[in-house]
Amino acid sequence: MENKVFIELQQAMLRYRTGKVALSGVNLTIEKGQFVYLIGESGAGKSTLLRMIYGGIRPTSGQMLVQGVDMRQAKEKQIRLLRQRTGVVFQDHKLLFSRTVFENVALPLRVQGWKSDRLVARVGKVLDFVELKDRLWAYPEALSGGEQQRIAIARAMIATPPVILADEPTGNLDNETAFRVLNLLLALNKMGATVITATHDLQFLDSHPGRVLRLHEGSLAEDSHADK
Amino acid sequence: MQINNSRVRLPGGFNMPPFGIHQYLALMIVAVALWAIGSVWLGLQGASQWVGSWQQQIALHVYVDTDRQIDLEGLEQELAIISGVGLVQKVSKDDTLEWMRKWLGDTGMDAKMLSATLPVTFVVTLNQQRGEFSLPDLRDTVGRFSASLNEDELQLVKVHDVLERVNTLVWFATVLLGIAMALIVSNTLRMILLARMDEVRLMRLLGAKEWFVRMPFILEGLALGAGAGGLAWLMLWPLVLGVQGWLATAHVDVQIWGMFFPLLLGGGLVGGLGSVVATAKLDTAGVEA
Repeated sequence: MENKVFIELQQAMLRYRTGKVALSGVNLTIEKGQFVYLIGESGAGKSTLLRMIYGGIRPTSGQMLVQGVDMRQAKEKQIRLLRQRTGVVFQDHKLLFSRTVFENVALPLRVQGWKSDRLVARVGKVLDFVELKDRLWAYPEALSGGEQQRIAIARAMIATPPVILADEPTGNLDNETAFRVLNLLLALNKMGATVITATHDLQFLDSHPGRVLRLHEGSLAEDSHADK
Repeated sequence: MQINNSRVRLPGGFNMPPFGIHQYLALMIVAVALWAIGSVWLGLQGASQWVGSWQQQIALHVYVDTDRQIDLEGLEQELAIISGVGLVQKVSKDDTLEWMRKWLGDTGMDAKMLSATLPVTFVVTLNQQRGEFSLPDLRDTVGRFSASLNEDELQLVKVHDVLERVNTLVWFATVLLGIAMALIVSNTLRMILLARMDEVRLMRLLGAKEWFVRMPFILEGLALGAGAGGLAWLMLWPLVLGVQGWLATAHVDVQIWGMFFPLLLGGGLVGGLGSVVATAKLDTAGVEA
């Protein structure tokens, strides 16, 4: 039987060098194909948890398994490979403004060693999905905030990773654009990707249903999945 | 921070990284430094040609007038035992005659009669490793036997000695300037790296290998250094053309084309070295995204 557990945390704790505890005693299991909202007040630990999932920081105690990788013991190579299987969308997009949309979106594939002649077709296909194919050779500075966010989604999904992490993907967007961005994330989820999104916007929960995990002061305070 | 960026489109839809004011400045500084090194080496090459040091052996001529009663064998022995003297050969009458015939050519003059008036000549070959007192001893010995030394050749030997020392100094200066240039390239790339730290972080976030992250910067350093080398070589031309008259007078033919690859490779080397230094501490420059 296939193991459905994708991310598993047991008594996971993260203490920064400054002594501040960002997460403590988090027990959590996320299965493949789930659409998960991480909610909570600012400083609750949402972004920290996302960073731990892609190996940006490691838990200081407890256990954390992501795609079968023990994040406390993992070697750099394992983390690198894990990151290649993870798509990340940031609130501030983290697009390279000196590079074209094509170069930004193709970057994960270049990192993975794809040959140049295959890139344009693949990038075009993904940009078509986010409805920005006509912006292939544009520079990000020429795009609106919503378009930039869609480019960031295109970059996150281009290597068809099994998990997409989105940190406040609708944070700076108007309702209509935010709705569109969530549509894209939900579509990716329906295509099989596990989507974990940290957000403050719960107004779209009805239109874009998912599992809700509420963090409070570094602890898991509520899990809609468990409540059911 | 990139100022006055220009972008070059590469195959596959990629652009060259922005080439800004930092790169132009570094290019000019390294090019000027390489030009200075190239100029000095060309000068040394010209000076070496002038003193004729392409010959493996340095030889001096000692002359003894035929009308003097001098112990020639004694002189030959005394010359041979001087420290730094490798070989002493008396030029035979036949050789002198032959030389005189060649020298006179078709003038119709009597070579035999003229060669009889020439002094007895000893060719004194000096070793590469000579003592400090070799030349003064030689002069003393020649003086004691009332012979004479070819003073022009003696001056050339002294110039040769000076050039040997200059050669060592130029090597030292080349290495020193090379290190300085590598540091300039390193500093430039470090600034570029800081300006593009978001790119570095992003690449790491996407799971890039270390060589993938560093390679663009190393290639940029190599290109910058090699470009500066090429520019330095071009800047040598006005210098050489400007002193061409002097060089022709001194029968010196400096090989400026021969400087192309050394400058190009030297530039590439310092550029590569600088970029390796610049990216050496990339690990601690901010891994987390």
